[in-house]
Amino acid sequence: MRYIVARIVWALVILLGTSTITFGVAFLVPGDPARVIAGPRADAETLARVRSDLALDAPVATQYARYLGRLVRGDLGRSYATREPVGTLLLRRLPATATLALAALGVAIAIGLLGATVTARFAGTWIDRTALVASLTLLSAPVFWLGMLALYYVGYRWRLLPLGGASSPRHLILPALVLGSGTGVYYARLLHTNLVEVLGQEYIRAARGRGVGPVRLLFRHALRNACLPLVTVIGLDLAALMNGVVLTETVFHWPGIGRLAFEAVLNLDVPVIMGAVLLSASLVVTASLMVDLVYRAIDPRIRLE
Amino acid sequence: MRTYATLPSLLTGLCVAACLAGCMWEDPLEWPARAPGARAGGVLRLAAAEDVPTLDPAIGYDTRSWFFEQHLFETLVTYDDASTLVPLLAERWEISDDGRRYRFELAPGVVFSDGTPLTAADAAGSIERVLDPETRSQGAQFYRGIVGARAYVDGTEPHVQGLQAPDAHTLVITLAAPDPLFLHKLALLFASVVPVAQARDLGEDFATRPLGSGPFVLREWRRGERIVLARNTRYRRSDRPYLDGVVQHLGVGVELAWLMFESGELDVVAIPPADFPVVQRAPARQPYIMHQTLLSTMYVGLNCGIPPFDDRRVRQALNYAVKKTDILELLNGRGIAARGIVPPTMPNHDAGLTGYDYDVERARALLAAAGQGEGFTTELWTQSSDMDLKIAQKLQQDLAAVDIHMRIKQVAWSPFLDAIRRPQIVPMFDLGWNADFPEPSNFLHVLFHSTQHDANNHTFYASTEFDRLIGGALAAVAPAARAQLYAAAERLVVEDAPMIFLYHPISYAIRTPRVRDYRIHAFVPPRLTEVWLAPDRAELDP
Repeated sequence: MRYIVARIVWALVILLGTSTITFGVAFLVPGDPARVIAGPRADAETLARVRSDLALDAPVATQYARYLGRLVRGDLGRSYATREPVGTLLLRRLPATATLALAALGVAIAIGLLGATVTARFAGTWIDRTALVASLTLLSAPVFWLGMLALYYVGYRWRLLPLGGASSPRHLILPALVLGSGTGVYYARLLHTNLVEVLGQEYIRAARGRGVGPVRLLFRHALRNACLPLVTVIGLDLAALMNGVVLTETVFHWPGIGRLAFEAVLNLDVPVIMGAVLLSASLVVTASLMVDLVYRAIDPRIRLE
Repeated sequence: MRTYATLPSLLTGLCVAACLAGCMWEDPLEWPARAPGARAGGVLRLAAAEDVPTLDPAIGYDTRSWFFEQHLFETLVTYDDASTLVPLLAERWEISDDGRRYRFELAPGVVFSDGTPLTAADAAGSIERVLDPETRSQGAQFYRGIVGARAYVDGTEPHVQGLQAPDAHTLVITLAAPDPLFLHKLALLFASVVPVAQARDLGEDFATRPLGSGPFVLREWRRGERIVLARNTRYRRSDRPYLDGVVQHLGVGVELAWLMFESGELDVVAIPPADFPVVQRAPARQPYIMHQTLLSTMYVGLNCGIPPFDDRRVRQALNYAVKKTDILELLNGRGIAARGIVPPTMPNHDAGLTGYDYDVERARALLAAAGQGEGFTTELWTQSSDMDLKIAQKLQQDLAAVDIHMRIKQVAWSPFLDAIRRPQIVPMFDLGWNADFPEPSNFLHVLFHSTQHDANNHTFYASTEFDRLIGGALAAVAPAARAQLYAAAERLVVEDAPMIFLYHPISYAIRTPRVRDYRIHAFVPPRLTEVWLAPDRAELDP
C-alpha cells in the first residue's frame, strides 16, 4: 500500500514537472501570443486589449501561478484560437484517438503473434529471413510515407477503402493498419526471439517426446511463456500509441487529439498545447503505474523488493 | 494460464474501442430528393486542411471563418463580382453632404433562420456588440469612428450614441468625422446583423450555434471532421440558394483532397503545386479550371531603418536586380508581375505605373552611386514553406549577380510576425498583403503610413509627403480626387521602394463538370448562393 501511495505521489510530481517545463518552453519560443491571437492586421489598441484580457502582460511566474491555481480546480483554460474550454476540446477528440490507438494495438498484437509463430516455426529458413527484411523495412518506413502510400494505392488506385476521414468503421482500417504495423513487426521480432529460446528448452522437448503435436506445442506450451515480457511493452505502448498518432491523424484526417495538438503548435495556442501535453503525460504516467501494479500481481518476486 | 488471461482482456479492450467508435461514427446525412430537371437541389462537397476557428462574425478574422459566416449571416452592403459595393440587407442608403450621417433602409420582411424578424435595432446592436470590450472583437477597430463609440467602450455610456434605429427598418449611423471607407467597413463580416438578444444569451456559444439571416443554416459541425450547411428555408429569396446543402470535410490536406477529387468524392478543389503543370496542360481539364487574380500583393520588405536599406538608391537597385518573370515561372505562372503595391484587380487602379523592369546594369550603377559598388551581406527572413524557400533561393541568385550576398533565414509564422514588427531586427523579409476591402488605402495607408509602425508598416517607411497625400485622400469625399491622391501616393512609394514589389497571386481551382456558376472572387471567399449542380448527364457538357 505504501508503495502504491509513493508511486502516485511520484506521478503527481512528474505531472507538475511536465507542466512547468511546457509552460516555460511555450514562453521561451519567440513569438508574441497576443500578436498571434489578434492576427497580423490588429492595431496597437487591439493588441493591448488582448494582452490585458488574457493577462499576458503579467510576469511569467504570476501567469504560471494563476495557471496552476486554475488547474487544481480542473480548469485548463480556454483556447486562444476558438475560445472554447480546453477540457471540452480534448474530451471531444479523445474517443477518436482512443479508438485509433486501441485498434492499432489490436493490429500490432495480431501481427506480432502471427509473425512470431510463423517465423519461429520456420526459424532459419528463407521464410524467416524474408520476414526479417520485411520487418526492418516496415520499421524504418516513416509513418506519413506509409500512410500516403496506403491512401494512394488502397484508397485511390484500388478503391478498396475510403480516402481518410472518420465517418464509418471502414475508415478506421487503413490508419489502424498503418499505425499498428510498425509496432506489430517490433512485437513479432521480440516474441520471435523469446519463442525460439523457449522452443529450445527442456520442457518443450519433453512435451514433444510425449507426442504433443507441433501446433499445440507452439500455442499451448511455448507461446504462453514467451508472451510474458510483452505485457510490459503493450501497457506502455498503448500510451505511446495515444501520443504517437499526430502524423497518422494528420495524413488520414482523423479528428483526434494528435491533430488538435499539431494545429495548436502551429497557432501557438498555448492553453491547448499545455492541455494536450498534460493529457499525454498523464497517460504515460498512468500506464507505467498500471504496468508496475500488474507486474506485481503477475510476478510475486517483485513484491519482495 | 495468466498469459492467456491477457488475451481476453485485450479482446475486452477491442470491444471498448468498438463501443467508443460506435459513438463517434457520423450519421449518414439525409437530403431531399431532387426534382427532375430542376436547378435546385443537390449537395456541394468540399474539403479544407484546417478546421474553422469560429462562426461568430464578431470574432472571425480569417478567410476560413469568413467563408462560412458569409453564408450564415448578411451585412448591410456587400460586393458584386466586380468588387463594387451593392445592397444586401440595406435596400438603399443616403449619405449626408458632410459625409458623417448614413441612413440605411432595410429590406422588408427579412427574418432570422428561427423565424424572428430582423430589425434595424438588431443591425445597430450587432455593431455595438463588436465594439463591446466583453466581445473582444478584433473588428472593433473599424467602428471606433462612430459618435459615442469611445464613451461606450469606456463604459460611461450604455449605448453607442451614433447608432440609432428610429423604426424597425431604418438605421442611422453618425460618424465623428467623414470616412470614405465606412461603407467598406460595413461590408466586412464583422458588421453582420445577428439577433442581438440571442447572441448575448448564448455568449461564447454563439460561435458554435450561429443564427443569422443568410442563405444557409448550420446543420452540423463535427470539429476537425466536417461542417455541414443546409439551405435556409426562411431565406428572403425563395428561389435561392439552389443547393440543398454544403459539406466540407475538415483536416484534408491539398494532396489528399486531390485524390478525393479524382475519385469523385469532392466537387471543387485547389490543384496541388506538384500536379499543377500536368493538369494545366491537359486539354480535357481546361473547361473546368477556374482562376482569378487576387486583390493581393507579394513583396520583399526592406527595412528602411537598417543600413544600407536606409539609402533609397540601394532599395531601387534591389528592385532592378530581381527577375520577376523567373519567380512567376517557379509558381507555374500562378501570378502576375507587380509594378507597384496596388493590384490591377483594384477598381480605379493606376494603369500608367511602370515600376521596375529587370535591369542588372542599372542596379549596379545605383549601388555604385550609393557607395555599395563592392556589394554587401544581408539576410532575408522567410517562412518555412517549400515555395517560400524556392523564391528565397531565386532572390539569392539574382542578388548575387550584383554582389549582394543574401543569407536565408527560415522562421515559423509566429516568431516571424513578432520579429518583423521590431525596428532593428529584420533587414529583409518575404511577405504578402491581402486586401480587406477594394480601396487603395487598404494597401497604401496600412503598409506605408508612418502611424502604422506598430501595426503593419514593417519596412518602417516614413515620408511626410506620403502621409500628406494619404491624409488628403482619406479626407476627400469625391472619389475622383481620392483616386488621384492615391495614384500620387503610390508613385511616390514605388519611387522610394521600401520593398521589392514581386507579384500578385492568381488563385486556381478545379471543379467537376456538374458544378455550375462557382466563381473565385478577388478578395471575398467563394460564395455559393448562385452555385447549382447540373442534375443529370445530359447537362454535363459546358
